[in-house]
Amino acid sequence: MKIWMATLIAGFLAVPSLAADRVLIDGHVHYSHDAWEMLPPKAAIKVLREAGLKKVFVSSSSDEGTQMLYRQAPDIIVPVLRPYRKRGELSTWFRDETVDDMIADRLSKNTYAGIGEFHIFGADTDLPVVRNIVKLANTHKVFLHAHSDSDAVDRIFAQDPEARVLWAHSGFVAPQAIAEMLAKHKNLWSDLAFRSEQSDDGKVPEPWRKVFTDFPDRFVIGTDTYTPERWYYLVDHANWSRQWLNDLPNELADKIAFKNAETLMNWALNK
Amino acid sequence: MNWTRLNLVDGFMWSFMAGIVSCGTANAGDVLPFDDQERALIESHGPWPPAFVKDPSNRLSGNQSAIELGRLLFFNRRLAVDGTLSCATCHRPATGFTDGLKTAVGRSNLPRNTPGLVNLRWARWYGWGGGADSLWAQSIRPIVAPQEMASSGGPIKRLLSVDKNLACLYNKTSAVNFDEQTDEQVLVGAAKALAAFQETLVTGATPFDKFRIALLAGPSNPTTKYPLNAQRGLKLFIGKGQCNLCHFGPLFTNGEFGDIGIPFFIGNGKVDKGRYGGLQNLKTTRFSLTGIHSDDATKQSALKVRHLALQDRNWGEFKVPSLRNVAETAPYMHNGSLASLADVVRHYSEIDEERLHVDGEKILKPLRLTERESSDLVAFLKTLSAPLLQTTHVTRRSPVCSPVN
Repeated sequence: MKIWMATLIAGFLAVPSLAADRVLIDGHVHYSHDAWEMLPPKAAIKVLREAGLKKVFVSSSSDEGTQMLYRQAPDIIVPVLRPYRKRGELSTWFRDETVDDMIADRLSKNTYAGIGEFHIFGADTDLPVVRNIVKLANTHKVFLHAHSDSDAVDRIFAQDPEARVLWAHSGFVAPQAIAEMLAKHKNLWSDLAFRSEQSDDGKVPEPWRKVFTDFPDRFVIGTDTYTPERWYYLVDHANWSRQWLNDLPNELADKIAFKNAETLMNWALNK
Repeated sequence: MNWTRLNLVDGFMWSFMAGIVSCGTANAGDVLPFDDQERALIESHGPWPPAFVKDPSNRLSGNQSAIELGRLLFFNRRLAVDGTLSCATCHRPATGFTDGLKTAVGRSNLPRNTPGLVNLRWARWYGWGGGADSLWAQSIRPIVAPQEMASSGGPIKRLLSVDKNLACLYNKTSAVNFDEQTDEQVLVGAAKALAAFQETLVTGATPFDKFRIALLAGPSNPTTKYPLNAQRGLKLFIGKGQCNLCHFGPLFTNGEFGDIGIPFFIGNGKVDKGRYGGLQNLKTTRFSLTGIHSDDATKQSALKVRHLALQDRNWGEFKVPSLRNVAETAPYMHNGSLASLADVVRHYSEIDEERLHVDGEKILKPLRLTERESSDLVAFLKTLSAPLLQTTHVTRRSPVCSPVN
């Protein structure tokens, strides 16, 4: 088959990892019930290995998905505990007082590096359920993976200045606003999941280059597999990430690629 | 009842009147009240059809010999490597240029629904994933796809050399001697002729278009008979449903892509990447507006492709289709998973927000339509159909081509 014919139809086909050279840790993966129905643990781990991922932070609704993956491949899965028993609790969990007991019970029984990804915004962060989650994170020395606005992040640190927070999607704010938050909170990490602006056809735009350079130890890449189909995006996303990371100085690129996530993970797991 | 009187009644009266009109029947002149904002939105869905402007990337656009050549090729099974498939095998004129199947069947089963082919001249991207940026580039795809026609430039050049009528027409369209053209150049030439033919598949004025004209003409003008349930559906379309945010303009589409929560697995271990795959194709294909086969010397038409970037959100996005003649092209969605327009409306009414990223398609919320609202919306969508403006040229017997010299 001629090359141009192959490229013409390539859009339909899943492509294998093209650049397995740079080590990556994906800090934002979910494996909820619809994912494990379409993609059983063995197949899911195969995808992660195809993407060339060293470690993957996984949370799920319910937690059973994470536990299945962890049992399948403890060498690659970093379990994170979601306060959702099932999909659909995203906007109700913080008023459900049974959530704290569920989180406490699981933290005492299983291995976790964090609690999250949970969705919390503004003043809801000060509700009792969320306050207890912040306390539990402190007690068990795990990070909080928060899908939040800047206000909610501020409120978490007001409750516990020593908390460690992985800020999902870095709040979907501009790089300068992320920089301001990182400067304000020394224990804040920024996840880049579901963000694309840091790459302009493989080149890192100047505002992003600046925030990466100013805070080299604080960024983590991520995919966000919020639907089961996005598991197959892990491979493309890893290749895409390697492309723009290659536009940064090597040491900085490695920090964002895996070292920062590794630092956060080791803090939580090597107690 | 006339337009003026209905404009004066209040909401209660309107509800009462609408309630006693069964099955959406209307007498000529029966018009619900539409406020200024609604009328402006309705106006934005026309006029129809837009002016035809030749495709600058296709030297054969609007060329009568090329249109005829494209027509003959469209119905010619010898386009396929084994002579078993023509374009019309899947894009059947009698069924809105679709096949009526959930997903297409070529040489084997394919993962996507066959889209209709009307009004394509005004499209921005082609294919459910937008893997082509021109109609001629899109026309190459099924010819060379292994699961479809599985052909290539060589067999297409042989076809155009052995069939005297096709060869005659092709030579009329080309400034370059046929024998001096490469296989790829002939393949592209054939695709451009196919595009020229497809550009002629333009639909006429729909019941909605006629209503729009009458409504905008004002109360002193007699309005066309337009069912009241369709009018209520139109109000939903531009109001509570906000359908027009994506399905806007005369074509009823923004021409771009969206994730509306339709699953996109295509079998065990495979997904249809949608727009993400389309963008990957556009960045690598030889057959794009940035490539050597575009006839646009100014390259202005290539601007839309030059700065495309892969984005997370593109994974699993599919084209927002035009709604003109939508009632003729069931089943629906990129994978044909919704059998009827009622199913489509139900999908939006009960959309599963868990399948949408909380920071993705923010405009999509379950519409929670009542049974009557759903029925009205379907009634409106059915008024967006009309026959082709010209039909005779699609099926007529072809005159024998007379060489220029």
